[in-house]
Amino acid sequence: MNWILGPMLLILLIPIYESFQDEDIWQKMLAFASVSTKTSIMILVISVLRDDWMIGVVGVLVLSVGNASLMLLAQVLKRVNE
Amino acid sequence: MIDQLINIVSYGCIVVGLVFWLWGTWPLVGPRSVLYKLHTLSVADTLGSVAIVVGLLLKIPSEWPLLIMALIALAIWNTILGYVLAYCSTEEPND
Repeated sequence: MNWILGPMLLILLIPIYESFQDEDIWQKMLAFASVSTKTSIMILVISVLRDDWMIGVVGVLVLSVGNASLMLLAQVLKRVNE
Repeated sequence: MIDQLINIVSYGCIVVGLVFWLWGTWPLVGPRSVLYKLHTLSVADTLGSVAIVVGLLLKIPSEWPLLIMALIALAIWNTILGYVLAYCSTEEPND
């Protein structure tokens, strides 16, 4: 099952590349949102491979808190742009 | 026989999830608008990730509480994040 992580890492490179090559702030926010979701799923896959629940809980926390903080950042950016 | 079937279905779910990931993330690099990219991205990240987690669930059912929590977190947070990003990124016409 370890073969899953290879393509996952390669697909993760796309939003990382997008986040530093695009100037528009909202395109960067999209890229960061995608990176946060993908990394948390990769953490979950690793936790299932190692059969270690603690890593899995960290993955779910990263998923929830990561997306929540991106939402707050989007609201701040909206207020700043007004 | 059943084990082989479950193995095939779980690997199938994981591969479908990876294909969704690639399909949805690829247009991110292109010159399309934010909302178009947000649509393909939310489809890819939400559905693709749910397919991958379901594949994991079929493979190792002993961790079902954790993976069910991840499924719920995914479905809720990704959807709301997509909505908030769409709302915040669209310029409102000044009345």
